[in-house]
Parts: sequence; C-alpha cells; structure tokens
Amino acid sequence: MDIQSCVEVCNEWDIVSARQLGRNMAKELGFGNVDQARITTAISELARNIYLYAGSGKICLEPVEQMGRKGLRIIAVDNGPGIRDIRKVMEDGYTTSGGLGAGLPGVKRLMDEFTIDSTINSGTEILATKWLR
Amino acid sequence: MRIPILKLHEYLLITIQVELDDQTALQFQEDLLNKIHDTGAKGVVIDLTSVDMIDSFIAKVLGDVVRMSKLMGAQVVLTGIQPAVAITLIDLGISMREVPTALDLEQGLDKLQLELEG
Amino acid sequence: MNAAIIDMILNKRMEIDGLWSEEIADYKSTNRAITPYMREQLNNEFLSLLFNHISQGDISADGTLERFFDKVLRANMPLEYLTQGLQSFRRIVLEIITEEDIQKDAAFETYREVDRWMDPILNSVVENSSRLWERTVSIQKSALLELSAPLIPVFQHISVMPLIGTIDTERAKLIMENLLEGVIQYRSQVVLIDITGVPVVDTMVAHHIIQAADAVRLLGSTCILVGIRPEIAQTIVSLGIDLSLFPTKSTLQKGMAKALEITNQQIVNEK
Repeated sequence: MDIQSCVEVCNEWDIVSARQLGRNMAKELGFGNVDQARITTAISELARNIYLYAGSGKICLEPVEQMGRKGLRIIAVDNGPGIRDIRKVMEDGYTTSGGLGAGLPGVKRLMDEFTIDSTINSGTEILATKWLR
Repeated sequence: MRIPILKLHEYLLITIQVELDDQTALQFQEDLLNKIHDTGAKGVVIDLTSVDMIDSFIAKVLGDVVRMSKLMGAQVVLTGIQPAVAITLIDLGISMREVPTALDLEQGLDKLQLELEG
Repeated sequence: MNAAIIDMILNKRMEIDGLWSEEIADYKSTNRAITPYMREQLNNEFLSLLFNHISQGDISADGTLERFFDKVLRANMPLEYLTQGLQSFRRIVLEIITEEDIQKDAAFETYREVDRWMDPILNSVVENSSRLWERTVSIQKSALLELSAPLIPVFQHISVMPLIGTIDTERAKLIMENLLEGVIQYRSQVVLIDITGVPVVDTMVAHHIIQAADAVRLLGSTCILVGIRPEIAQTIVSLGIDLSLFPTKSTLQKGMAKALEITNQQIVNEK
C-alpha cells in the first residue's frame, strides 16, 4: 500500500482529476463520507493554489501508517515563486487572487497534520495528512 | 459542459448533477445571469443534492451568483447541500450566512414564494 | 547483593513479617467483599514476593510484579497499600540490619544496597500505575464519545438534540455529523439544540455551537439554541461571544413554541 499516485497540475482540468483521485483513494482506505469530502476539498484547494500561483506542479497522494494508525497524505509540490510571508497566507481571509482567502488555513483545518515549506524563487512543498478515525 | 437551466413560471430551476470544474462553474454563472435577463425571472432555486464537494472557489462563484442575481432582481435559494459538504465549508471558514438555503427543491420554492409575497 | 546481608534478612523473616503486617494493617479495601482472610493472603503474597526479590533476584521485570499489582487493584486496595508496603519493608529491613551491624561504613554500604535493591520495584509500581491510569483515561474517553448526541424527531419538521456533558473538539465533530445526518434523515426544518446539560460554555464550546448552527443553516434548516441558564448567558456576554445570528431561548419549552411558529404548526387542545 505504499504506492504513491501523482497528478501533474498544469490546467484547471487537472484540479478535477487530482480531487477525483483523492476521493477514490480516500474511499478505498475506508474514510467516511465526511472525511472523503474533507480530503477532496483540501486537494482541490492545494491544486488550485499550484495552478494559480505557480503555474504548474504536482499533487501526490500516498497511504501512510504510523503507530498503528492509517492515513492519507497529500503532497503538493511546485517550482513556483515560493511564498514570501507564510504567516500571512495562513491568515483567514488573506488573498492575492480575489478569492475567499480560505485556502491554506482552510486546508489546515480540513486535515489533521499540515506542514508548509517554501523557498523564494524555488518552490513550495506542502504536506497534509488525514488519519482514519 | 453546460448546466441546463429550466424555467417554471416566474422561477428558474437548476439541478447541478455534474462535478463542477472551474470553467463549468463560471459558464453557469454567465448563463444564469443571461437567463434571468431574458426571462425576467423573480426567483431561482439551485439544487446541490448531487454535489459532493464545494471548495472555496466554487463557494465564491455560488456566493457571487446569488449577489449578482439579486442585483438583477432575482432571489436565489440554494437547496440540498449535503452534510459532508456543509461540514467542509464550515472547516474552510465559509458559512455563506447571506445566502438563503432550504432542505430540498420543494421547500426552496416555498421559501421563494414566501419571500416574494412578503 | 551481599550474600551475608541476604542471609541475615532471610533469617529474620518471621520478625520482619510481624512488624510489617502491623504497619500496613490500616490499609483496607473499599470493597466489602474482601474478607480479612483474603487480606491476609494478599499480605502474605506481597511479602513472599519481596523475599523472592531478595533471594532469587530482580522480580521487577519478569511480570510477577505486574500480576500482583493487578490483583491488588482488582481487590480495590488503595495504591498506598503498595507504596507504604514497600516503604515499611525497607524501613524494617534497615532497622533490623543496622541493629546487627553497627560498624559505621558497613551500615552505610548496607543502606545503599537496600535502597538500590528497592528502586526497581518502586519504579515498576509507578510505571504500572501510570500505565493503568492512561488505560483508564483512554477507556473513559471512548466511553464519553459513545455518549453520543442523538437527534430526536419530535413533531413533523422539528427535532431536538439534547447535549449533555463537556464538549471537546472531538465530540463536537461527532455532534455536528449526527446533527446534520439527522436533519437530512428527518427532513427537519427546525432543530433545537438544548445545552441545559452542558456545564460550561466557554469560547471554544460556543465556537463549536456556532459552527454547528451555521452548518445546519447551510443545509436549509434553522437552529434554535435552548437551555441557556443565567450563568451561561453571563459568560457568553462577558466573553464577547456573538450568538445573535440565530435564535436562542431560555427553555426547551419556549424554543419549541418558536419552532412550531416557524413551521406553521399549532398544538390544539381537543375536548
């Protein structure tokens, strides 16, 4: 079960494929209805960020296991401009694109674990994990 | 892909049954506003029973379409939002407090009737 | 341990037994089914364990101690029975040894040996009790989760969810899911959330309730918060929590009247 599945994100349609992959994997791993929606939505937000701010990148999904718990990890990687002020993008309502500014802080709330690693002019990597209840 | 918009007396009915991608959502926004303009509809019910995910982008498009329609004189009610969808919206911090909602199409129509009479 | 000391302790077994039993006689079980005879058996086993520890080597790691520990707790004996039992044993042994051997540095050496020898047992007791404690906490936690919040359909289109007990984040999630699934299942236009049984409403609890009400509204139903006691009204306002977005009532009865009004229903008195 340690196979990673990835979707390249270059256009709007890829956002749909990424979240469909996420829903299927979440269902297969045994996540409930609500958590499936949480995971799918988180993937959608992350994929859209890649498309909007980096132009291209990829979303990878992998089943994880830690101390007897099973879960699903989303890895969102891009080689875009990076995030200048991470604290700022984690604030509710902060947006540079005219959106609702719910994206990253929202993803953090949707998932159980969330880490963000960004370097200016080299890219961003976000890891977000949801554990099976 | 286009989402069909049905006319019923002075109302417009839309049942979204496809996975909403960004383009479809924006196209729908445009189509609906045109339809309101063409028909002079007073009320709109958008049924989301079959929608299993609403992210912040789609939430914004829906919120916008409600406000835009209102500017054109049509009251919009969203119906059939699923529990899992509602929970993710709340997690995202989106409560759409200004958007009228109802449990199903029928109650959505009742609500419109009540608001348009009152 | 020094063989001479071990021999000395074993030779004094009777004496130690008498002194020790006297010291710990005060610790009684809270369970009345435990007879004095059973108590004596427990004491004997405790003491033999300690003597085995001296004569046959460390018993803190092979499970013997854990088994005895479990037995003591199943008999509803207080934890102090174990700790005091150990301390008394050490004290008595030291007293007896020092009576025999009065040389200063030898006494000091013996002291250290006995201490070192008791340490693993004491550690094991502490470890065991903390493990047991953790297990109890986790069992209680899942028991609390099972105390789920059911949504009860009362009249057509009206349901009630009584909340009882403390609400933490995990429970709030469960409550929210039950609430929303119930709204769909019973097609409830109005849900009354009764917080009479919630002891404390702080910012966090209020936040969870507001989220639940927002989610219920997204589904197209209305949430009425009832059971707001005076002290809860006071805390809500002094914490600056805004609950004005949805209707609140002091009692379930008043909330129900409002719910009937919203759904255009009436309770009629028939002769």
